[in-house]
Amino acid sequence: MNLPGWTREPLVHFVALGALLYVALTWGGSPPDPSSRLINVDASEKEKIAESWTLTMGRSPTDAELDQAVDAFVREEVLYREALRLGLDEEDAIVRRRLVSKMDLSASLAAETAEPSDAILRAYLEENAERYAEEAAANALLTFDQAYFTSEARARAALGSGAVTPDPTSLPAKVEGKPSREVESRFGQQFAEGLSTLEPGDAWQGPIASGIGWHLVRLTQRDVQPPEFEALRTALANDWRSDEIEARKKRAFEVLSSAYRIDISE
Amino acid sequence: MRKGLRALLGASVLAMGLAGCSDSEPAVSEDKSGDGTDTIELAEFPDRPYWGDTHLHTDNSVDAFGFGTRLGPEAALRFARGEEVTATTGAKTQLSRPLDFLVIADHSDALGATRRLFDAPRWYVDWVMGDETVLRWYDMMHESPEQSTRAIAELISAAAEDRVPEAMAADPEGAAEATKDIWNTQLSTLDRYNEPGVFSAIAGYEWTAMPNGNNLHRVVMFRDGSDKTRQTYPFPGLNTTAPALWEYMKAYEEETGGRVLAIPHNSNLSNGLMFQMTMEDGSPMTPEYAALRAWAEPVIEATQIKGDSETHPYLSPNDEMAGFGVQGWDFGNLSLSEKTEPSMYAGSYARSGLLRGLTLEQQLGVNPYAFGMIGSTDSHTSLATGDEDNFWGKHTGNEQSYTDRSMKAQNLGTREGRFGWHYLAGGYAAAWARGNTRAEIFDAFARREVYATTGPRMSVRVFGGFGFTADDWEGDWVRKGYTEGVPMGGELEDNGAAPSFLISAMKDPDGANLDRVQVIKGWLDASGEMQEQVYDVVWSDAGSRRKTGGKLAPVGDTVNREDATYTNTIGAAELRTTWTDPDYREGQRAFYYVRVLEIPTPRWTLYDAVRFGVTLSDDAMADAVAQERAYTSPIWLKPKP
Repeated sequence: MNLPGWTREPLVHFVALGALLYVALTWGGSPPDPSSRLINVDASEKEKIAESWTLTMGRSPTDAELDQAVDAFVREEVLYREALRLGLDEEDAIVRRRLVSKMDLSASLAAETAEPSDAILRAYLEENAERYAEEAAANALLTFDQAYFTSEARARAALGSGAVTPDPTSLPAKVEGKPSREVESRFGQQFAEGLSTLEPGDAWQGPIASGIGWHLVRLTQRDVQPPEFEALRTALANDWRSDEIEARKKRAFEVLSSAYRIDISE
Repeated sequence: MRKGLRALLGASVLAMGLAGCSDSEPAVSEDKSGDGTDTIELAEFPDRPYWGDTHLHTDNSVDAFGFGTRLGPEAALRFARGEEVTATTGAKTQLSRPLDFLVIADHSDALGATRRLFDAPRWYVDWVMGDETVLRWYDMMHESPEQSTRAIAELISAAAEDRVPEAMAADPEGAAEATKDIWNTQLSTLDRYNEPGVFSAIAGYEWTAMPNGNNLHRVVMFRDGSDKTRQTYPFPGLNTTAPALWEYMKAYEEETGGRVLAIPHNSNLSNGLMFQMTMEDGSPMTPEYAALRAWAEPVIEATQIKGDSETHPYLSPNDEMAGFGVQGWDFGNLSLSEKTEPSMYAGSYARSGLLRGLTLEQQLGVNPYAFGMIGSTDSHTSLATGDEDNFWGKHTGNEQSYTDRSMKAQNLGTREGRFGWHYLAGGYAAAWARGNTRAEIFDAFARREVYATTGPRMSVRVFGGFGFTADDWEGDWVRKGYTEGVPMGGELEDNGAAPSFLISAMKDPDGANLDRVQVIKGWLDASGEMQEQVYDVVWSDAGSRRKTGGKLAPVGDTVNREDATYTNTIGAAELRTTWTDPDYREGQRAFYYVRVLEIPTPRWTLYDAVRFGVTLSDDAMADAVAQERAYTSPIWLKPKP
């Protein structure tokens, strides 16, 4: 089948899809026409107003309170329509900028609440494999014993003598299967960096320095969990989403601006 | 017709946004969307402090947006979890140490109102057109960041003085309407970033009541997952009172079976109204009122960007360490519409509030002011930074790209003498919990096993009981503390013997050494008068530092003013002691809390001066070095019933 050329235009697809969506979104209740002089606060509208009130206050409004709420609704409606009628939205720098921002936002809005499919996320993981591998390495599960000394000399002496009798501290002597970030949070960055240079083994190693003092360490396990899709799913979705918002804004602008000829004189 | 076209175009862009992904209800597992119960293995006893900020504003806050912030809750959560984000003013930024929990506390009044101009032109066109003042503010907001900041300062003043144009005033229906979408979207976002065992994204908001500019603000914090929090909406602050908020909280708990608490902040800007001896209307406090308050508000925020509320030198003349973060904040209320008289201080600071609580308890049988203490940021940049060397400003109008911010006028009361350098870098909240879930963190707050720091992450542990000795440190003292005593936030019943305390403080492993540990005792004497005493109980360099005339020699000062550095050549890495109250009297009503002081370090103003080549004024320079600190929640000693 031979379709006319215009049917292959992306802009046409885009407008057609939009038209469909517009119909879908406004089905069963279009917004009030601003040129209408009728404001109809019917039972269902009143119910909506009452519901709003209830949600905030945790109880239903009294009749007087509901009347007040309806008055506020009517006031808003009248002034809104009058503003449009007076053309206050035209040639107004604020409205102009708002609309621009709104376009930007509507392009990204869908991404903010979108739930990407597994296929998209798996592809995303593949594309960013290095980053997630690095994160996994940084979050290796660690098991170690730690002996604290107030001075480097004391730590070295203990290591040399083979009798490891540490100085008192509130830091735990034993850490079992905790992620590196947790170890860093308790022992500090300096310690975490020092620890990352050690290879697992059965012997006391070190001393390594921390902000508190010096430590002999018996690192028995460093278990790097390879990036696994199911475990990472929410994190992937979050990362994908924040990338996607930017990408969509850019894409939307490219599509829209491609329909313009832009002359900028030198 | 033109309207139809416009809507069509909007829908088209929306369609474009949708293209390329399968759209369905965002789904996160129940583990993430719930309160975290039974999701992770819990320690037998709380085993470490979890670090968080319970008071962060994003672009959904009407003022934060006006000040220029364009980062939303998603960016705020990513940043708190340690991801890199781009700040509104353009620089890439990342926390070197992630936080463990975060409460995004946007103002419930006009939640997202300024941002919603994007979302709902109907609401906004109406709003803008309804009032000339509002229109002027909006023009200012779009003219330049400076004008925008000025407009929002005017808005805050107007709110403080109850002259917000009617078009903007919070009416319950309007607020609910405007708030609904944002609240629900936010709850979904929180669920996506909530990860039991790693990070707790906790639901909350700020209730912003300020009669006549006197700050009575509270952060409202929920324990629950979105299944329950979706059943409520943020309660408006303007033109409501604290008892109405508590009524709302009670209703929430009854309807959902959930839990919620409120955290007062900036009592220092309340002109004596935060810890009154009476009820709001000036009538004598009733036991019912006191009980409701004690139930609703177990914790206060004692330190944050807008100053420190622990105590004032006027109230604590014998406490030479009083006065941190007081300067600039103690001569007027939030909007500086009213001067502060010294007679108001007692109702504005935590220590005197705790003392008043003892008096009221003696009269009423219930202590309305039996609160624990935390710190937080109150940052309006979506960036929860609490450290001196990474201060991102109170709001986007004074982020780091405004290099002379320390000497610049700020939004609240510069004419009266409040400048950039008066602002603190912000604090953090530490919660002793058995694991990192929404429920565990919340429960630590509810039982007051939390403490405040002015930013550094020192670990501070306190147990109170009878008969603790120095030998207890040899064994499993944590177990002993929990099984034979109570942790911070707990209560002891007088048994005729002096209470003793196991106190342990470890420095921030990536920060400065410790100067000393103090116990602050407040009590009612035999004639019912409120008394306070500060005890130095353990300190660094004890061999060379002695007490003379009851006062401990200062720790020294290693800060180089030329390059904003210090060395840990003075001070101690860890301080611990067993302390028994030497002035105990049987039947005395008392509280004890611990204050830990670091050695002097540069404040953010000194880092700014060095990094940006800004010259500080003499008074700013004199304040450019300070001793950062931690305040624990008290342990109360109650007479036998």
